Amino acid sequence: MKKFISLIAKISLTTLVLLVVLDWVYTSVYLHSSNRGKVEKVFNSKDGNYDVVILGSSRANNHFVPELFEKKGLKTFNYGMSGAHLFEASLMLKLMTERHYKIKTVLLEADLGLCNEKESEMIAAKFLPYIHHSEVIKNHFSGQADFNELYYIPFYRYIDFDALIGFREMYNTATDKPTNILDNQGYHPLGHKPGNMKNDIRALKPIRNKYYEEIKQICKQNNYNLITVMTPMCTNVKGLDYFEKANKIYPEIHNLENVVQGDQYFSSCGHMNDAGARMFTKIVIESFFEKK
Amino acid sequence: MFFNSLAFAVFLPIVFLLYWFVFGKTKSMQNAFLVVVSYYFYSCWDWRFLFLLIFSTLLCYFTGIQIEKNTQKARKFWFWLSIILNLGFLGIFKYYNFFASSLSEALNNIGLQSSPLLLDVILPVGISFYTFHGLSYVIDIYYKRIQSEKNVVDYALFVSYFPLLVAGPIERATHLLPEIKVKRTFNFEKAKEGVYQVIWGLVKKVVIADTCATYANAVFDNYSSMNSLSLILGAVYFAFQIYGDFSGYSDMALGMSKLFGLDLLRNFNYPYFSRDIAEFWRRWHISLSSWFRDYLYIPLGGSRGSKIKQVRNVFIIFVVSGFWHGANWTFLAWGFINAMYFLPSLLLGTNRNNMETAELHWDFNSIKVFFSILATFTLACVAWIFFRANSIQIAFDYIRKIFTNGTFVSQFLPNQRYSYELLLLVLAFVLVEWNSRYKIEPISGKYSWLKMTLCILAIIALGTYADYKEFIYFQF
Repeated sequence: MKKFISLIAKISLTTLVLLVVLDWVYTSVYLHSSNRGKVEKVFNSKDGNYDVVILGSSRANNHFVPELFEKKGLKTFNYGMSGAHLFEASLMLKLMTERHYKIKTVLLEADLGLCNEKESEMIAAKFLPYIHHSEVIKNHFSGQADFNELYYIPFYRYIDFDALIGFREMYNTATDKPTNILDNQGYHPLGHKPGNMKNDIRALKPIRNKYYEEIKQICKQNNYNLITVMTPMCTNVKGLDYFEKANKIYPEIHNLENVVQGDQYFSSCGHMNDAGARMFTKIVIESFFEKK
Repeated sequence: MFFNSLAFAVFLPIVFLLYWFVFGKTKSMQNAFLVVVSYYFYSCWDWRFLFLLIFSTLLCYFTGIQIEKNTQKARKFWFWLSIILNLGFLGIFKYYNFFASSLSEALNNIGLQSSPLLLDVILPVGISFYTFHGLSYVIDIYYKRIQSEKNVVDYALFVSYFPLLVAGPIERATHLLPEIKVKRTFNFEKAKEGVYQVIWGLVKKVVIADTCATYANAVFDNYSSMNSLSLILGAVYFAFQIYGDFSGYSDMALGMSKLFGLDLLRNFNYPYFSRDIAEFWRRWHISLSSWFRDYLYIPLGGSRGSKIKQVRNVFIIFVVSGFWHGANWTFLAWGFINAMYFLPSLLLGTNRNNMETAELHWDFNSIKVFFSILATFTLACVAWIFFRANSIQIAFDYIRKIFTNGTFVSQFLPNQRYSYELLLLVLAFVLVEWNSRYKIEPISGKYSWLKMTLCILAIIALGTYADYKEFIYFQF
């Protein structure tokens, strides 16, 4: 039995060493990459200087065209991320602050995301490689139920989110495989996909959102001008009063849900196509940037 | 509580330590302890079905004794009572809804409107496996091959021993009960072999099966938009998914059982290196194939009698084997196809041709062997399409599209991966298996420490965890 216990101890030790070494290798790869995603771009850059920084979910990522801001002389980047919640938008802004970004205006899309305070695993995972190298990331995750495992067990985060930051993503990052995420200054234009023009959002209930409050607080502390908007949906939506309910909780959010109408401007019910996005961005620029 | 879960990683060492250090003094203590932990293990799925397991155990235990001690007429009564009740439970839980809805559909097709009365019950995990344990035990007593077990704890352990409880291998009383009847003493070499087998089983499950599943699911769930190459790769990936999943489970079950000093029946013997379908079935899910051979095929007459009878027996055994996997026409079709594959070798008398393990050398005969293996694997893949598809119609559409699409370029799948990406991993796995086809697992032998480290590295770095998948055979 002694020999067996010794064998198990050796296997356990080997496993632990492998976990530590792999953690170091994966993290090192992510620490040296800045061209595959928005999180690593922010993490691995310092002193970013922007007139407008766009934050939010896919409804920001697909709806705001930085090119049109730039034509007005406003240096802009769209940091909206498909699938992101306000949890990640808040963390992204904190990370920019930590990296000493100089930002004049934060343009935040906050509408459907107001109804929950959960993390979006597929986006939150992108921050995890840096958890030991950024105080704001560590602190932001410290309230999560699995924080201790993610922070203290080597390589746990790469196993837990293997589809997002596991071997395949690490390999693609190490070999510098390009993505289109940073093209068009972060804006991802959508084509027209007819036939998906209905949605039911009656189950969504807007709440006083902790992470939206955080974003407001960060902007106030750093003198960022915060403009929060709700972006358009197609007309065939059940439960459109959601936007009014959200407005009752947060009157400062600009309800632009109905400024672009017609299915020809949508790719799916919740996402405008490129034509719709350009029309919408022009309205946003006229409403909030040209008056100034 | 799955073998590849964190909960099990805590459960197993605790059970191991208690088994050898606290309850290891006598055989009775060892067995009683293993029965208790097996029942706990089973109740982690659904404690209500524990009563069904206990009832099934007591039924076979009691009827076994009655069959042995009674005269011919009463023997028959107790025998059939046991068979009917055991198969009755299996029928109700596993097949009732299938028959009810199939009957209703048939009535509707001839114009008689009916709506079936369906049961809203989930399938008790492992029911097909422990029912077959009990059936073989009762049948063996009836035919006087064994004597009934008088110790209820020992018998309960034979039925519910946790490594084999939910997905086999399907044990025989003639094999496992004698092991259970003696006190086990710790054997380092056997335990080490067990640890290696568990590690290799984990590689098969989390590195091969679960990774292949991600790609196979993406192809099968979107087959109508896939090109010929993706459809072929989808079938190949599923072949490795189901093999990695089930043989991985079996390896873990056999390996951890060795930690407790008990040897279970081998369930897989490198089936994808078979040179014909008969050989494939001698190497795939061996405990089920041999169960059907001994308790169905041979009693039906086996390969004796006229050719028509032999053909009938082959079709019965394969179709029943397909149906054992689940109440769906796709499983029946899978069984039927395998019977069709088997038929030529039966008629030509070549079904016992390839009894020894395949070899490849630099000679002409090896080319024949290589292509025989490739052809057998291709046939298996075609049959797996029926096994995996949601309906027979979809399976036919899938195969038709392979031939009619005609596009053989890499495709970006809905899971955001290219269809060809896994080929290197699958190829590496095949090479490792080929080189270790005379062994139970590839880790033991020369450089075992290095090989084990590589396996652990693969489990950690290449395993699929986020898209968690339970073992396929748990649903059977």
